[in-house]
Amino acid sequence: MIKLLAVIERDIKKFWRNPVVIMISFVMPLLYLVILGNSFQGKFKGLPVAVVNRDSGTYSNRVIENLRALEAGPKTISMFQLNDEGRAVEGVRDGRYKAALIIPPDFSKRVVLDKKPEVGLFIDNTDNISAETIRNAVGGTINFIRQQYVPVRERPGEIFTRNIDLYSMVDYYQSLVPGVVIMAIFLGTMTAGVFNLVMDKFLGINESYLLTPLSRGTIVTGLIISGLTITTVTALTVFGVSMLITGIPFSRGLDQGISILIVVILTTLALLSMMFLFLGRAGHPRVVGLFSGFMNVIFFFPSGAVYPVESFPNWLKAFSKINPEAYAVHALKSILFKNAGLMIVFGDIMFLLGFTTLMMVLAIVTFKRTL
Amino acid sequence: MQKPNAIEVSGLTKKFGELAAVNDVSFTVTEGEFFGFLGPNGAGKTTLIRVLTTLIKPTSGKAVVSCCDVSEKPDSVRQRIGVVPQAMTSDMDLTGYENMDIYGRFYSIPKKERKEKTKYLLDLVGLTSRAGDLVATYSGGMKRRLEIARALVHTPDILFLDEPTIGLDPQSRRVVWEFLEKFRRKDSLTIMLSTHYMEEAESLCDRVAIIDAGKIIALDSPDNLKAQIPGNDIISLTLSDTSRLDEIKNILSGIQFVHKIKVDGETLRIYVDNGAQNLTSLIDAVKGAGGTVSSVGIHQQSLEDAFIHFTGKSIREEEAKKVSFLIGAGVPQKLGR
Repeated sequence: MIKLLAVIERDIKKFWRNPVVIMISFVMPLLYLVILGNSFQGKFKGLPVAVVNRDSGTYSNRVIENLRALEAGPKTISMFQLNDEGRAVEGVRDGRYKAALIIPPDFSKRVVLDKKPEVGLFIDNTDNISAETIRNAVGGTINFIRQQYVPVRERPGEIFTRNIDLYSMVDYYQSLVPGVVIMAIFLGTMTAGVFNLVMDKFLGINESYLLTPLSRGTIVTGLIISGLTITTVTALTVFGVSMLITGIPFSRGLDQGISILIVVILTTLALLSMMFLFLGRAGHPRVVGLFSGFMNVIFFFPSGAVYPVESFPNWLKAFSKINPEAYAVHALKSILFKNAGLMIVFGDIMFLLGFTTLMMVLAIVTFKRTL
Repeated sequence: MQKPNAIEVSGLTKKFGELAAVNDVSFTVTEGEFFGFLGPNGAGKTTLIRVLTTLIKPTSGKAVVSCCDVSEKPDSVRQRIGVVPQAMTSDMDLTGYENMDIYGRFYSIPKKERKEKTKYLLDLVGLTSRAGDLVATYSGGMKRRLEIARALVHTPDILFLDEPTIGLDPQSRRVVWEFLEKFRRKDSLTIMLSTHYMEEAESLCDRVAIIDAGKIIALDSPDNLKAQIPGNDIISLTLSDTSRLDEIKNILSGIQFVHKIKVDGETLRIYVDNGAQNLTSLIDAVKGAGGTVSSVGIHQQSLEDAFIHFTGKSIREEEAKKVSFLIGAGVPQKLGR
């Protein structure tokens, strides 16, 4: 025990004496939140669309009005009115606009006569997601012109879907918080735990403690516990700050806090022991950098933190079945947004526990006690 | 009464792939002895120390250190030895005191005893006033002194030092030697040191093993090693022209007090008895053979001459061949695996 505590104290002291590392560990995950929140975004905003109106009838004007409403309301598009179809299409090709809408001269006439009215929508389909958004938004707006003045009421004979939200509203920013916390944990496990071992090895310092009677188990466990302490503190701080930033309420007080703590601790242990298993024999910090950069991507994106797991192809779904981050995200989302108690996330917790135990045993067994 | 053995090594071999860094080495070190390994970089000194200190497993052979076999009970050996590795291994982000204290805990030394021992050792190596400073602010010599103190924190039976003065300036080197002298006087501590500095081996060690290419080629006290070289002085005569070199060499070889002559360019290295007394008659003999002496040198046999005698080459020539000091104690064992 005296040995284990010494290993832990040594590691934590070394971390604590490194203010730059401390700053980075706290600040970077929060920057993730801000940057992820603003770059992915749930809904698109301000997509530039060129509009050329060759018609001067009522209905074409109505289309323009509706697009203007779209521009002012949900802000999906920014409209640029041009007179020249050629220039508009050219603009799409060179990337100034995401799409060009051309309304032909006989548009209103065809609407009135019900003679297959047509508009042309030239879309930059290389940008898949924004193309889809424009197609739906502009298409919907145009189809709406004839219903515009129909009084809003439920018409008989038509099936109406009533949306009922089960939980209180979660905006996109808030929905990122679990992912950001997982990111903070991952960053922590990159810079603590096994990284310090590899760094010692690189500096040749490991020789001195391999000369002492410390056992393999003590070295591995000690480094994991110190990594756990450091990472839990950073992750919880990041958690608290991002809840404040995004305005997530602490609806269930202490109970919720304890659930969060348990999930954070288990996730940290799972990732720390996994990193230890994979990197316990690495000899250069560069290996840790490259490897964990890769690991971060392959574990984070299929975790459900950004996109729902259900939409993955089957092979990727299978991968998220063994991805500890997927369980962590599920658990945190349930606790935060669905007010779930520990029983609801029991499965997640059991997986994380089992995963940690397996990784830890393998890490200790494969750790090399000699140079 | 003969003292018991602290270290017993027999037929020890460590191979990295095809290369035998330590090749069938056998020797014993008695308790309280100051034992030195002398050899150029790459001779296998560090590998041998790493095997004896449980850092590397031997390929074959047996090594009993203090109580136990290094392969069978490495933890018991670790508890009884103190090691100062060649590279600086203190934690830069911790203070000198913290380094000592944490290592004391690695050996499960109780708090009170640890505190006393740390204080005592830091005082002994002259670091008390700097104990609260981060090791990052220490000079090379101070770090080395701290490592020696750290290696002694658990009162080991044997202290291993792998080139303890490498990279230190002459003054710091001397300070380290003084400490080692102090510890040598404590009868229970056995010290094993590897070095490629002749002076270090000669002035500190009771016995020296000359090691080259993984093998021990001579093992005795520095005095006995020197005594094995024919003649006790070397006279160097540099000739102004070498046209009659062979003739001169033949004539000199016939003289009774001359044991051996080595030709090095235009310089003759003549191994003789009583060099100071016999110098003039040698110069006369050269003149008699029609040669002219342009400069004269005379020096007493040193351990370096013993090294040259046994290995057939100077340690400096060996040094020059090495790429850098990284090859040796730094990385070689990784290349072989």
